[in-house]
Amino acid sequence: MLEIRSARKVFYKGQADEKVALDGLSLRLATGEFGVVIGSNGAGKSSMLNAISGALVLDAGQVVINGDDVTAMPVHKRAMRLARVFQDPMRGTAASMTVAENMLLADLRSNKRTLRRGLNATRLASYKERLSLLGLGLENRLDTRVELLSGGQRQSLSLIMAVGGKPELLLLDEHTAALDPRTADIVMQATIRAVEALKLTTLMVTHNMQHAVDFGHKVVMLDAGRVRLEIDGKDKAQTTVPDLIGHFSVKTDRMFLAS
Amino acid sequence: MDIIQNIISSFVSLVPVTLAQSLILAFVVMGIMIPFRMLSFPDLTSEGAFPLGGCVCGVLMAAGMSPLAAIAIALVAGFVAGCCTAFIHLRFRIHTLLAGILMMTMLYSINLRIMGRSNISVFGAPTVFDWVPGLQPGFPASKIAVAGLIALVVFVLLYHFFRTEKGTAVRAVGANPDMAEAQGINVWMATIGGVGLAGAFSAAGGALMVQSQGFADVNMGLGILINGLAALMIGEAIVGKQSVLRQLAAPFVGAVVYYQLVSLCLAAGMPPPDLKLATGLFVLAMLALPSLKRGRGPAPARETVRE
Repeated sequence: MLEIRSARKVFYKGQADEKVALDGLSLRLATGEFGVVIGSNGAGKSSMLNAISGALVLDAGQVVINGDDVTAMPVHKRAMRLARVFQDPMRGTAASMTVAENMLLADLRSNKRTLRRGLNATRLASYKERLSLLGLGLENRLDTRVELLSGGQRQSLSLIMAVGGKPELLLLDEHTAALDPRTADIVMQATIRAVEALKLTTLMVTHNMQHAVDFGHKVVMLDAGRVRLEIDGKDKAQTTVPDLIGHFSVKTDRMFLAS
Repeated sequence: MDIIQNIISSFVSLVPVTLAQSLILAFVVMGIMIPFRMLSFPDLTSEGAFPLGGCVCGVLMAAGMSPLAAIAIALVAGFVAGCCTAFIHLRFRIHTLLAGILMMTMLYSINLRIMGRSNISVFGAPTVFDWVPGLQPGFPASKIAVAGLIALVVFVLLYHFFRTEKGTAVRAVGANPDMAEAQGINVWMATIGGVGLAGAFSAAGGALMVQSQGFADVNMGLGILINGLAALMIGEAIVGKQSVLRQLAAPFVGAVVYYQLVSLCLAAGMPPPDLKLATGLFVLAMLALPSLKRGRGPAPARETVRE
């Protein structure tokens, strides 16, 4: 379960270009629930994900994962509980290291690292098996350095790395946005399969309204650093792409009125 | 013909001495390689950590301490110096190079303080090189044997370490700090520990050097960094850097080849004062080579280093 309690973050506080990134944002995601976050640029989606992962230190408010307050924890401690796939395929993998080494790093995310040999036969076999699920042939390229893979392959690898070890929370940060439509589809299908099979509590940020309609139990729309709209249950099943886009335009109208 | 014969004969006569020297300086090259390649942390501490190790070792030996204990303490001093550089970079967000320059400048004063004067003679004091059985003490062969043995042990240990779970995590910090952090790796610990380890190697090189040459001098580190960098470039050009094994072998191979080249230049009559210019030009050429090969295209993506 993920809970964000009235999170507040102001950038450049007290300066002329002060920006309120998170304005008392509260959000609850039940265990096993798949939430999709939408919102225009600058609405606070990335700030929210960064606040959850620990990359952004909140001015006020709490982040609670499965009942434990993690607000004061640094990124590497929170990594024991959550996994994240970044928008940029380059950020989620170590380019100069091999596929197997990247898998090993993810494998040890929630474990204590020892002075024993990292890549042993057991592990290599299990990585081979897990990667073969993608159907991209990565299982035969365990010793290839990741920088030689295509963006789609790297992102697929990031995904497999993230869902391995069954994290308490999976954060997907527009993880298909940088891919071509076909590859994006493959990665998205793989995501859904993994999330459903492992019943992962997932928070996905996307600009793709079709994805927001098709996937997840709940749509959350952010605006100006707070939750503007939450659609779940039966309403979610009936929502269409034009509906969602409509909410964006309402916001635009209001902006016109305000200005 | 005579000239060439002269050059060759004086070069060959220098080979054992140079080999002993290069095996000792290989530790400094290792101390440059680990932050630079494994952690993407270009580090200049070795210019200060090398004489630090030498000064600590010299003072302790002059005080009658056993040579091995003197090396051990020099090693710890170097480790602390490396840790400081990493900490300055991480805590105050100062560029790695500037953090290194700060550290090596401060270390110069510290080294002077440790010794109390600018140099110290430990000639005749027992050294680790005396312990080789069956060899005449003071002869290069004993130095080659001892330094070679330590180098071998260090190489094997590092090779195993960088393939363990912890070692892989340290390499991940160099490859992609953001990703490493997201995978639960403590970037601070890995960086401080790694740069500290490098400082320890540089200091160990300094300590061995003092035992080998019989005196310690605050200026013994002058230009060691650029020599080490040149050696590293040569080593990487020869054995490559695609795998952990190759990357770890590069400092040793590079150090041996580089110092033989220097000795050849000196034997060929190059005036010693020109050596630093030649080394600098060589490093520049090695660094410029990739962009020269590519021709006058747009500037390529540079190697990613932490800032």
